[in-house]
Amino acid sequence: MDTHHSHLFEVGGAKLARLEDLRLIKGEGCYAADWALPNQAHAAFLRSDRAHARILSVNTAAARKAKGVLAVLTGEDAVKAGYVKPLSMLTFAGKDGKKASIPERPVLAHGRVRFVGDLVAMVIAETALQAQDATELIEVDYQDLPAVVSPRATLEPGAPQLHDNVPGNLCFEQEAGDAAAVEAAFAKAAHVTKLRLDVTRVAPNPMEPRACAVAFDTASGKFTVHSPVQGINMMRMQLAAYTGVADDKIEVVARDVGGGFGQRSIGYPEYVALMLGAKTLGRPVKWVSSRSEGFLSDSHGRANYIDGELALDKDGTFLGMRIDWIADLGAYLHPAGPVSPMRNPVTCLNGVYKTQALYGRWRVALTNTAPVSAYRGAARPEIAFAIERLVDEAAAQMKIDPAEIRRRNFIPTDAFPYKTPTGSVYDIADFHGVLDKAMKLADVTGFPQRRAESEKRGMIRGLGFSTVIENSGAGMFPKDEIRLEVHADGNITAYSVSHSQGQGHETTFAQIIGDGLGIPAERIKLRQGIGEQGLIGNHTGGSRTIVGAGTVCHIAAKKLVEVATPLAAEQLGVEPSQVAYAGGEFKSTASNKKISLGELAAKKPLVVTGEGKFGSTFPNGCHVAEIEIDPKTGVTEVTSYVTVDDCGTVINHTIVEGQMHGAVAQGWGQIFGENIVYDETGQMLTGSFMDYTMPKAGWIKDITIAEHTTFGTISPLGVKGMGESGCTASLAALTNAMMNALRPLGVPPLDMPLTAHKVWQAITAAKKGK
Amino acid sequence: MYSFQYRKAKSLAEAGEVLAKDDEAKPLSGGMTLIPTLKQRLAQPTQLVDIAGLPELAGIDNKNGVLTIGAATRHADVATSKAVQDAIPALACLAAGIGDPQVRNRGTLGGSVANNDPAADYPAAVLALNAKVITTKREIAAADFFQGMFTTALEPGELIVKIAFPLPKAAAYCKFPHPASGYAMAGVFIAQTGDGVRVAVTGAGASGVFRWAEAEQALAKGISAAAIEKLTLAADDINEDIHGTREYRAQLVKVVATRAAAALSGKK
Repeated sequence: MDTHHSHLFEVGGAKLARLEDLRLIKGEGCYAADWALPNQAHAAFLRSDRAHARILSVNTAAARKAKGVLAVLTGEDAVKAGYVKPLSMLTFAGKDGKKASIPERPVLAHGRVRFVGDLVAMVIAETALQAQDATELIEVDYQDLPAVVSPRATLEPGAPQLHDNVPGNLCFEQEAGDAAAVEAAFAKAAHVTKLRLDVTRVAPNPMEPRACAVAFDTASGKFTVHSPVQGINMMRMQLAAYTGVADDKIEVVARDVGGGFGQRSIGYPEYVALMLGAKTLGRPVKWVSSRSEGFLSDSHGRANYIDGELALDKDGTFLGMRIDWIADLGAYLHPAGPVSPMRNPVTCLNGVYKTQALYGRWRVALTNTAPVSAYRGAARPEIAFAIERLVDEAAAQMKIDPAEIRRRNFIPTDAFPYKTPTGSVYDIADFHGVLDKAMKLADVTGFPQRRAESEKRGMIRGLGFSTVIENSGAGMFPKDEIRLEVHADGNITAYSVSHSQGQGHETTFAQIIGDGLGIPAERIKLRQGIGEQGLIGNHTGGSRTIVGAGTVCHIAAKKLVEVATPLAAEQLGVEPSQVAYAGGEFKSTASNKKISLGELAAKKPLVVTGEGKFGSTFPNGCHVAEIEIDPKTGVTEVTSYVTVDDCGTVINHTIVEGQMHGAVAQGWGQIFGENIVYDETGQMLTGSFMDYTMPKAGWIKDITIAEHTTFGTISPLGVKGMGESGCTASLAALTNAMMNALRPLGVPPLDMPLTAHKVWQAITAAKKGK
Repeated sequence: MYSFQYRKAKSLAEAGEVLAKDDEAKPLSGGMTLIPTLKQRLAQPTQLVDIAGLPELAGIDNKNGVLTIGAATRHADVATSKAVQDAIPALACLAAGIGDPQVRNRGTLGGSVANNDPAADYPAAVLALNAKVITTKREIAAADFFQGMFTTALEPGELIVKIAFPLPKAAAYCKFPHPASGYAMAGVFIAQTGDGVRVAVTGAGASGVFRWAEAEQALAKGISAAAIEKLTLAADDINEDIHGTREYRAQLVKVVATRAAAALSGKK
């Protein structure tokens, strides 16, 4: 296989427009709510309206008698079915070799509800409206219990306890690094910077609401589950574990998915309850979530509460870093929920720096709130935020230029591959080059002039940046497979498990395959979410898809030529060594005869499956944000935003830009507005778009996106992945810009989100203090 | 949403009759508040009487120094009406800034005023311009119409037919929209009328729209941003929630009032 790709991707074109867009814009997409199964019934859920209570009784008599109602299921049915224990991927040992305490979660709550939105009962009726109406006829007798929503308070002695098998609401505790070395580093430090670095709870809010339709075939005992996914195998594995149904008796089917961000990677209790419903009733059952239900019960993101300390010598060299991290997972554990904050921060605990002494303590806490799981970046943005905020504050406190302090501490470009203190191997990067390019594009040297000009208008200007690295996901399945099927017309269908939620796989995969075969990308049609293909592969998540499935597209294309060459030789009546392949055609070098891939496929089926396994890569980058604050209102405008990323080989710049726009907007959302707020009793105060500030088009007016790439060594394509890096870098870049603006006024470090209200209050308080 | 009967009224009289006979029936105009309320199952009307297409509620008319706008006129139509733009440009500007394009193309003047959402834009214009709310039963002065959050002088079954705005010498509206909802956290409408300067504030009052007497007095001597900048709005009667303390909202009122005054005085 060739590993040098100076000619790679000339086929598709570096800026090929997305092949799926016309189909989707014309309304030809098929989303989960679009499935209409023959004879389907409709489900609605009764959810807990309180955060913590004992269920004394559930009276479903009136609901059962309501018009159109076919069945009403409660926690008792869930327990009877044995659907009580979700899969947990938190299987490794923590502090002192202790394993996690995993709470049970009957798919419909039994005995107790633990958050507002917890499932109490499911009504199935002929229509969705009848099912919704009937939920209101269910009488639940609750005995309220005290609730706890604060992730720090929940670990205190005397806090209300959520689960009998989770003493102190502490599921798991782990340490990483070298506590003694850090102790020593801090003892000899010339300067220590301490910060609280809470990364607040947000709602992923994909545009498509959750939906699921389940059919059960009594004869074969097989479930067919239509739901939005990031990959059908990940979904099937979780549904199988929750129900005890064998893998091969569950087929997951998905077509288009309208946004994921981690929220789609969960086998939710609603989906499992629908399986129970479909089996009980012998009819397909469908449920479509409302946006209000989504706010209450979709997985939330982030919710990591961090205290950090950085020790430096007098020259600003980082001697050591210590962090204390509480991951708030909500009332129950989603299968992979606690794994991301336990794993990803450890993998990149040193960030882009050569800091040698590192130590952290991580605790998984439960609260009476909606369960939390991976959200675009999955704790990578959190650790990057912690490191980059500490570095920036330290630079300011020591009066060292923030770029200079970073340069002094970067892992040098000639030090790769670099083994980190926590055991990761960064394969290749050029942090100096990335920073230099970003500083130049952001015109950092012109900033003082722009700041002075803002000041003349009564405005406060700030510039901040972050230099970050993250690990792409290695994937939990043993390999990634891509199947190619050649049709008689020469077009090719490619089958994949990794599922696009908007990333544009139909384009990038087609480009890679097209490049491998020397044919236009338009001739390759990607099919995802086809359970019957039986492929092995990872879901789309952790920025891994281009590294895993993407690379396998290349491998599959090469394999197709290998497999087809002897078949072509046979047809051409020559030896395989006398056949040359180019541009979709095999030519005899001995004669002028030729045969195309399509002509070969017309004679007999031409199908190959490529496979490969690829571990973590380390995309990295530098983001520079420039902001202007109106002190009269606290309103912040991001006046310019520059990203320079090393995502390895770029397959398609347009798609890279799109990913970056979205991820930076998500970072903007988290820093300036998005925040899930519960009151003390556990009621959600931000359960709609009236109160929850999603970023809107136009709020970031100008993003400059550039690359400074090195050729990654993990994939033969040199790719590193880039779906999440925009989130990872932007939280700290935006906050650093804000503090750069506010610090001179005497404003202390602020917790996100930096709403106009909060910024105004801080400026007002600082003025009073002076 | 609970099920309900939908009924498209053929005349205002028919709508009035249906609503008078059925306490649980509700009039439907643009539905920009009513439909979301229904979707959240917070209301369960027996029937919705659709009055949006009634000719009696349509039309924009500028006559004898009064601009009259039919209650079912959509925000987008107010915003783009040449008659409104010529007569009271600030009102067209206000309408152009309500919600988003979808809301502006469904929501109506009468619906907004009848709902009296404390963060809606129109109440500020109605009060500052000393407009008359003309209903199926009577004419109600703006000062008497708004009676606190989501509360008006309208009686059951009484519908707004049109609103008559006396033409001001000049007027300006400026608001600070909430970043999530787009509703005004503070909105100030300043009108120079024959009876002096009137300043109405929406979005911030604990009891809905109100007139800011100190600002009116300060601007009576001459419209300028500086006149407002000297004032402090007492925060006692200002609304407070998770999005802003009463002190912040009072500050926002001052900021947008200053901007409106600056626009009126021709200085930015």
